[in-house]
Amino acid sequence: MRLSVFARTARDQRRSMVAWAIGLVLLVGMYVGVYPSVKGSGSSFTKLIDQMPKTFRALFTTGGGVDFTTPAGYLNTELLTFMGPMLVLVYAIGAGSALAGEEDRGTLDLLLANPIGRARVLLEKFAALAAGVAVLMTALWLALLVEGSAAGMDVPLAHAAAAVLHLGLLGVEFGALALLVGALTGRLALARAVPAGVAVAAYLVNGFASIVSWLGPIRASSPFYQYIGHDPLRTGLSPTAVLVSVLGIAVLVGLATASFRRRDVLT
Amino acid sequence: MGVVGGEAGVDHPPPDPVVRLEGLTKDYGRHRALDGIDLTVGPGEIFGYLGPNGAGKTTTIRLLLGLLRPTAGRATVLGLDSWRDSTAVHARAGYLPGEPTMNGRLTGRELVSYFAALRRRPADVTSATGLADRFDLDLDRRIRALSRGNRQKLAIVQAFMSDPDLVVLDEPTSGLDPLVQQEFHQLLGETTARGATVLFSSHVLNEVDRVADRVGIIRQGRLVAVEHLADLRAKALHRVEARITGPVDLGPFRSLDGVRDLTVEDGVLRCGVPRPSLDGLIKALGRYPVADLSVTEADLEELFLAYYSEASADAA
Repeated sequence: MRLSVFARTARDQRRSMVAWAIGLVLLVGMYVGVYPSVKGSGSSFTKLIDQMPKTFRALFTTGGGVDFTTPAGYLNTELLTFMGPMLVLVYAIGAGSALAGEEDRGTLDLLLANPIGRARVLLEKFAALAAGVAVLMTALWLALLVEGSAAGMDVPLAHAAAAVLHLGLLGVEFGALALLVGALTGRLALARAVPAGVAVAAYLVNGFASIVSWLGPIRASSPFYQYIGHDPLRTGLSPTAVLVSVLGIAVLVGLATASFRRRDVLT
Repeated sequence: MGVVGGEAGVDHPPPDPVVRLEGLTKDYGRHRALDGIDLTVGPGEIFGYLGPNGAGKTTTIRLLLGLLRPTAGRATVLGLDSWRDSTAVHARAGYLPGEPTMNGRLTGRELVSYFAALRRRPADVTSATGLADRFDLDLDRRIRALSRGNRQKLAIVQAFMSDPDLVVLDEPTSGLDPLVQQEFHQLLGETTARGATVLFSSHVLNEVDRVADRVGIIRQGRLVAVEHLADLRAKALHRVEARITGPVDLGPFRSLDGVRDLTVEDGVLRCGVPRPSLDGLIKALGRYPVADLSVTEADLEELFLAYYSEASADAA
């Protein structure tokens, strides 16, 4: 079985993929590079954040604690709480909207006129998205290990792997949402805007749940909670969170396939 | 109009028509874009699908390829349902969209290799190379660097490269210069010579005129006429102008079958007659001294317009 659509899509993404990977490596390098000076005043940073209003603290730490005195705590707050997910989401939502992009530009007509089912096209597009995120997460993991150890921050290999796996699942989940919106509407703008909006909402739900009581019950539905609620860099893999994320992705892709098979292709 | 099995004593069921549209209807919201189209196109036929822009040509074609879902009725290709069995239909059909858009970052060769891989027919790349040579198209240039005409050539190449049993072409010659059009018409001839069927749309009649066996005329989502081109030509009026010295009795001219717009002015007789009445006209003219005579075949465009005005008169 040849995965031609997957291969073509992956090739189309190749160049931007390299740029993204370099960006992530540089970002990690920057955070790691400034760590020695932060570490020296680590406790005062922690105090500073502790003095922030509770709402701000919840927002910037996704409801978790802050600890700049250990490498894991520092990386968790600085890299994994905001910058990392933001970049991964921008990439994944972009890749997930590739199908809507083809429809928007008009190249989908000729693609679908080939003897290949729509479900197959969609699943191969999804596979390309997941593979792209996997490559980026591998780059991020290697950067954490290599640059971290060079700076004397010993990040446990397995915990770093768990953190990037959860982060990757977060990205793929929002990419799958972009795929679903694209499959439903065929509109590139919507396929990008809707997941971005949902991501902001999900981020806020997870962040504020610790101080807003009515958000408590829905916190677990936030992909951000599945990603970072258990602090993977310090506690490692959460099989439950992996399962919840994978199920969420499966539901999104299933809905996308069902809706894409049913509707007219836009011109 | 199925083909009846020929050999004596052997009872062949009539073959499936290559294209069959049955009550094909498509609504976009409240707007009815296509209203109950019935049509069959047989093997080896070149069918011209004619109508002004917005009449429903592209909608019909995209329904035929399963890119749109019919509101009512159905389209089949070689007995396969265009919507439910679209993958099987695509394996037998080549398609040239009305505004072919292809990934501009690819070269022509990358595009045809991609489609050949999707068709699981790697040898199609060779046939695409042959077609590209024939149309003088450079497959190694990026698509975004190609002119509109060359893009159209590439779209033609990918539609024909897999030797499909049916080629569906939406306004295929737009953007092609006359020499290339000629080559393209030759390709259509070769395609039907090997038994394949061509359905192509156009809003210009004299393009269809040269290659089609039959034409269907679509207007506001309805098929208003399906005719053999030969019959259509017979109905087409010839414009006659004769300079006659002396007075003319219009009686014998008026009685000609199908004569139209008969006038005499300053010694010039003008009228339009269909081909079967030309003989009678010449004989009627023979009784007068004719100083000058011109007969021009009215192009089918005029007939086409006549169809349209009839259809709008019906609607009124």
